[in-house]
Amino acid sequence: MFNDLDPILHSQLRLSIVSILITVDEADFTFIKDTTKAAAGNISIQIKKLQDAGYVKIEKTFKNNYPNTTVSITNKGIKAFEDYVKNLKKYINPQK
Amino acid sequence: MDENITPEESLLLIAKTIEETKKRFQENGHIIILWGTLTFIVFLSQYILVQLELYKVIDIAWTCILFPLGGIYTLIYIKRKVKKKNLPKTIIGSIIITMSWVFGVNLMILGFIFGHQLGKVIAPIFIILLALNIIMIGISIKFKPIIIGGILLNLIGFATFYINGQYHALIMATSAVFAMIIPGILLNIANKKEHV
Repeated sequence: MFNDLDPILHSQLRLSIVSILITVDEADFTFIKDTTKAAAGNISIQIKKLQDAGYVKIEKTFKNNYPNTTVSITNKGIKAFEDYVKNLKKYINPQK
Repeated sequence: MDENITPEESLLLIAKTIEETKKRFQENGHIIILWGTLTFIVFLSQYILVQLELYKVIDIAWTCILFPLGGIYTLIYIKRKVKKKNLPKTIIGSIIITMSWVFGVNLMILGFIFGHQLGKVIAPIFIILLALNIIMIGISIKFKPIIIGGILLNLIGFATFYINGQYHALIMATSAVFAMIIPGILLNIANKKEHV
């Protein structure tokens, strides 16, 4: 239906995750989970899809002896998000 | 279902998520009030000690204890807050923290090493530097009372050049109330209202 809209970003949870990452330098998995209020499994799947598209970078480290996953947006992800918002605006205000 | 969101819903979702993210790491006025209070206590006591001619005996120790204690408390507070809320790194957060430390260290160097050379102009310089730091924090967190407090402090800083040196400490103590304590309290009230 919305042909110009990036299918990777045109999904509620993936769009939420990218919107968080556009606001911060990097965020850990728990922060994304707390902010989106989505299930951990679902978030993992969507982050993986974003990573496959080259939109986010995942870093796995240890914090206080516990595994810690940090996610950050890539330049490609920022560009895709900006294009997505531009296209959204075109749909909403076609004259502009 | 996911892919069926409309462009309007998408825009709304983006705005809502960004707002929610910002809200989670929003600073309350706690640290600003703390530093305002420390500045107030140190300089008011300095003024009183000068009046009692006890300045050299007690003041240095007083300043040397209170400000570093404030620094240690700030470090622990930020570390605990980041850990408790799983806060992410932000460019603005990093800039505020780095600038505040750079500012603090510079003030210490100016006061303790170059204090004698600077003489009476140390107070206006201190106030102007403090004002710049406060304006920067206010702009970063987009909170008008802090920006206004900073601008006011900046003007007071320049005016201090024309005021007799014996009142400088009193000016600094009063400035801390208007530029830090009151805006800090207003920030706390604003945050509480938003979270209700």
